Amino acid sequence: MFLDPRAIILFATNALLLFLCLLVNSSLSALSLYLVLLGPMLVLPALYLNHRSFFICTLLTGLWVDAALPAAFGLFTCGFLIMGTPIAMARIRFRTEHNYHPILLAHIANFACLILLAVSEGLQHISVPAFWLQLVITLLFSHAALLIIAPWFFNLQRLLFELCHVDTEPDEFPML
Amino acid sequence: MAKFRLDKFKPIVALGAFLIAWWIVPTLSKSFLPFVKLSFTEFQAPAWIVSSYLDDLESFWARRSHSKIELIEAGQELARQKAFYQLLDQRNKSLETEVMRLESILHMPSRREFRYQVARVIRRDLNAWWQQLIIRKGKDYGITEGAAVIFAGGVVGRIVEVNAFTSRVELISSPNFRMAASFEGDTRPVVYQGVPQSGFGGPIGEVRDAPQDLVANTQNPLRLVSTRLGGTFPPGLMIGSVSWLEPGSTGIFQAGTVRLDKRLLSLQEVSVLIPLNPLNYDRDVP
Repeated sequence: MFLDPRAIILFATNALLLFLCLLVNSSLSALSLYLVLLGPMLVLPALYLNHRSFFICTLLTGLWVDAALPAAFGLFTCGFLIMGTPIAMARIRFRTEHNYHPILLAHIANFACLILLAVSEGLQHISVPAFWLQLVITLLFSHAALLIIAPWFFNLQRLLFELCHVDTEPDEFPML
Repeated sequence: MAKFRLDKFKPIVALGAFLIAWWIVPTLSKSFLPFVKLSFTEFQAPAWIVSSYLDDLESFWARRSHSKIELIEAGQELARQKAFYQLLDQRNKSLETEVMRLESILHMPSRREFRYQVARVIRRDLNAWWQQLIIRKGKDYGITEGAAVIFAGGVVGRIVEVNAFTSRVELISSPNFRMAASFEGDTRPVVYQGVPQSGFGGPIGEVRDAPQDLVANTQNPLRLVSTRLGGTFPPGLMIGSVSWLEPGSTGIFQAGTVRLDKRLLSLQEVSVLIPLNPLNYDRDVP
């Protein structure tokens, strides 16, 4: 099959996570708090899908995120693929049946996303302390939220695999 | 010796090919990436519009739970306010007539007129990188890029992107926002610009190029208002208050911090000012 049907499920859950995250951010704006929860979107596509389906799923997710956020178009499309490819290539080293490794990867990917945003969108404010203060608050708040969100999100994705009667095990490991 | 496997490099090759294509395609077709972005944005817009209508429905049902007594009291209060605003409207009309009469005597150029389009805020993106809002009106209501956005407390920002049913507003607190302004009672123009927000306290901006003779203090803060310079905003709209001015980097002018309205962080509804006679830069600019 050209496209693993799980790629569609993973893309749909990524779109759902982004929508919920932006809804929460909209409600928290009065408190000047902001959540960046992009890391979990990369993890299961890279760990479960063959490289073609991973590529399509991550490409669509990146385009979706780029269209939703006011960042330069292509930042997350290219960024997600660049971050996801090493995870996909090294996936034999990670245990996908438990949440420990995916959560760890989600934190690393999320941190990379924040760094990517800080470098691409905030480079002109690098000398402003207020920018760094808000960046640190966003980072701490996002990673604290990720401790709760990431396990829920991965369990939801696996549950949807079962409900949709698709393969619940990762694809074969051709990249040893 | 194990056979050297090339297939393990497939993802890297695919990524490299994609990055090269991403770099080359915009040079071949300038409209391709904007088209992709627009398609994805329009595809997402219904979800936001539906969620906004669900919010409205929730408020409607919340109001339905009020007792009749509460509704009657609210109606009475509204009737009082309406009578008060009708009086203000009469006074406003007589003053407008007087201004028009004086302008015609002095042969002054006509002012820019706007029509107001009230729109619900459906999303707020306020963080270290962006200070933007999404509103529930777009091309379907004739919203134009660059149009001014205001609310009861003064200036909100400017429209930076218009889609079919939604528009994106750059907030006044955004570092990418800059406008001409003046202090109330002083016609000399100054420059207002947004700054990165710390997240603590209310939103702030900065004012530059203020004349040396202006003095601001916490007891009598200066009110910064919009001017008609630039043509986007009508004059006299509140931007914020300045309680301290100090010599700027040039030493010739003063600069200071502008305290903006706290309600900017939780706006529910804004008004877009759509110019009735949009500026034609080829025709109107000498």
